[in-house]
Amino acid sequence: MTSSAAQELVGLLDLETIDKDLFRGAHPNSARARVYGGQVAAQAMIAGSRTVEPEYALHSLHSYFLLPGDYQVPIIYDVERIRDGRSFATRRVVARQHGRPIYYQTLNFQRPEEGFSHQDAMPTVGTPEEGFNLVDLMRARGNDEADALGKEWAALDVRYLGNSRTGLPKDPDHPAQARMWIRIDGELGDDPLEHLALFTYASDVSLLGVSLVAHDANPATTQMASLDHTIWFHRPFRADEWWLYDQWSPSASGGRGLSLGRVFQQDGTLVATVAQEGLIRPRRDRSAGPGLSA
Amino acid sequence: MPRNAEELVQLLDVEQLDLDLFRGQQMPSILPRVFGGQAAAQALVAASRTVDPAYAVHSLHSYFLQPGDTGAPTVFDVDNLRDGRSFATRRVVARQHGRPIYAMTANFQREEEGYEHAEPMPDVIAPEDAIDARAASRVLDPDLDSAMDGEWDVVDFRYVGSSADGLLPPEDPPQARQRFWLRVSSKLPDDPFWHVAAFTYISDMTLMGAALAPHGVRMGGPETLIASLDHSIWFHRPFRADEWWLYDQVSPSASGGRGLVLAKVYTQDGTLVATVAQEALLRRRTPPEGTP
Repeated sequence: MTSSAAQELVGLLDLETIDKDLFRGAHPNSARARVYGGQVAAQAMIAGSRTVEPEYALHSLHSYFLLPGDYQVPIIYDVERIRDGRSFATRRVVARQHGRPIYYQTLNFQRPEEGFSHQDAMPTVGTPEEGFNLVDLMRARGNDEADALGKEWAALDVRYLGNSRTGLPKDPDHPAQARMWIRIDGELGDDPLEHLALFTYASDVSLLGVSLVAHDANPATTQMASLDHTIWFHRPFRADEWWLYDQWSPSASGGRGLSLGRVFQQDGTLVATVAQEGLIRPRRDRSAGPGLSA
Repeated sequence: MPRNAEELVQLLDVEQLDLDLFRGQQMPSILPRVFGGQAAAQALVAASRTVDPAYAVHSLHSYFLQPGDTGAPTVFDVDNLRDGRSFATRRVVARQHGRPIYAMTANFQREEEGYEHAEPMPDVIAPEDAIDARAASRVLDPDLDSAMDGEWDVVDFRYVGSSADGLLPPEDPPQARQRFWLRVSSKLPDDPFWHVAAFTYISDMTLMGAALAPHGVRMGGPETLIASLDHSIWFHRPFRADEWWLYDQVSPSASGGRGLVLAKVYTQDGTLVATVAQEALLRRRTPPEGTP
C-alpha cells in the first residue's frame, strides 16, 4: 500500500508534456521560500529520460544550480538532444523560470552491456531501526525550517546513524563523515526509472551538512546552498527499500564544502556514488536554507 | 603533443575568433584521437577568457561525446549561463566538423574565506624514490619506445603503486587503488591560471589504472578498450602544476562496461588541492584470431 505522501511525490515527478522535448513540472504545497534542489534534479532527469529510447538506461548525471527556484510558478524543462550514439545517448536539460535558467543538468544513457565488475565493501553499520529520525534531529538542533522540510519530505523515511562528532567511530583519514538509512515510505511500482528519480530526489537531503561536521557550525545558523550535484548509477535498485547513504567531505575551503556519498543496498551491493559541492557560509540572511541559491 | 611547459601553454592558449567563440590548435601526435585532457584544458581556457578575472574557477563537469579528430582544429563555443554576485557559470561546447565532441560546464567564484578542513595525505614514498614510469614502461613494452617517444614528455610520471602490486600498504577493507606523483616537466609561467589549465590537461592521464587494478589488466594493453565518458574537477586550493603532486586514485565501482575513479590531489607538503572524478568505458577487447 503506497502512502499518500509517496503517491504525491510520484505525482510531482509526472511531468506535463508541452511539446516535443519541452516539459512542465508542478510544485508541492510548500511553506518554504525556495524550491528544494532534489525536486528540480529529479524532475529534470525525468524530462531528459522521456526523450531517450527505453533500451538506454541512465548511468550518470552532472548538474549545476544557478538561481533559487520560485514555488509560485511551475518550472519549464527544456531538453536538448546532444548525442544519440550506438552505445550512448546524452541529453542536456535546462530548467527555467521567468525566462531565466535556474538549473542545468547533463545526463548520459547507455545500452546495457557486461564488463569488469568490482565495488567497495559496505562499512559495518547499525540497522535502520537503530537510526534517529532526521527531521526530529534538525528540529532539536534549532533548524527553523525543520517543520516545513518535514512536511515536504513526508515521503522519505530517513534514519540518521551518526556523524564524526557523535555516533560514528572516529576515522582520522575521514574527519567529516555521516551515515544514514533512507527509503521512500511506501511501495513503488516496478519501473526502474521511477526508483532512480525518487532516489535523485532524496539524494539532496543531507549531503551538504556533512561538510559542516568537521566544524563547530550549526547547520541552522549557516547559509547552505547546493552548487552542483552529480550521481553515477552503478546498479539498479529499489528506492522504496532501505539504502545506506555513506557520506564524507574530503575538503572545505573558500566558502565551499565538497561532499561525496556511496549508496549501498542492505545486502551490501554498491548501487550509486554521489558528489555535491555547496556554499557553506556563516548566515547573514536568515531566509537562506538548503536548496537552490545564487 | 607538447614536449615542455612552453609548448603546453602554446597549445592551450586558444585563439579568440569572436565574442565567446574560440579555436584550439592541434599538435603533431601519433594518438588516433584528440587526448581528452587537451579538449578539457582548451575548453576551460576558453570559458575563463569570458569571465571577469576577479572570479576563479572552482569546479568543472564535462562529458566526452565523440572521438576528436587530431587533423582538425577544435572550435569552442561559450555560453554565459550566469553572472552573479558571487558566482559565474559558463557552458562550453567543443565542436569539430559541425558536431559536438565535448561539452563542459564550469563554475567560477569571487574569492571568499570560510570553513577549512581537508582529509590528510596518505603516507607515501617521495617522488625521488618512486618508479620513473616512462622509463619503466619502455622496459616493459619495447614497442612503446619508438612509437610513444616524446608523446608525453610534458609530464614527469613517478609510479608509487597500486592495490594489485603490493607496493601500497594493505587496507581493510581493500579498495581498488593507484597512486602516482606527477608534475609538468619544465617551469610554467607564474600566473596561477596556467597551473589550473596544465593540471586539467594532465588530470585525464593514468586515472583508469585504479579501476583496472582488481582485474589483472593494465592501461594501454591490447586487451582493453578505454574511453573517458565524463570528467569532473573540484579545485580546492591554488597550487603549482610544475611541482610534484600526488594523484591518489580509488575506484569505488565498475559495472556495465564502465568504471568510476575518484582521486584526491595533494602537493608534497600534504595540502589537498583538488578532487577529480571520472567515469570511463572499460571494455574487454576480443583478441584477434590466432593470438595466444
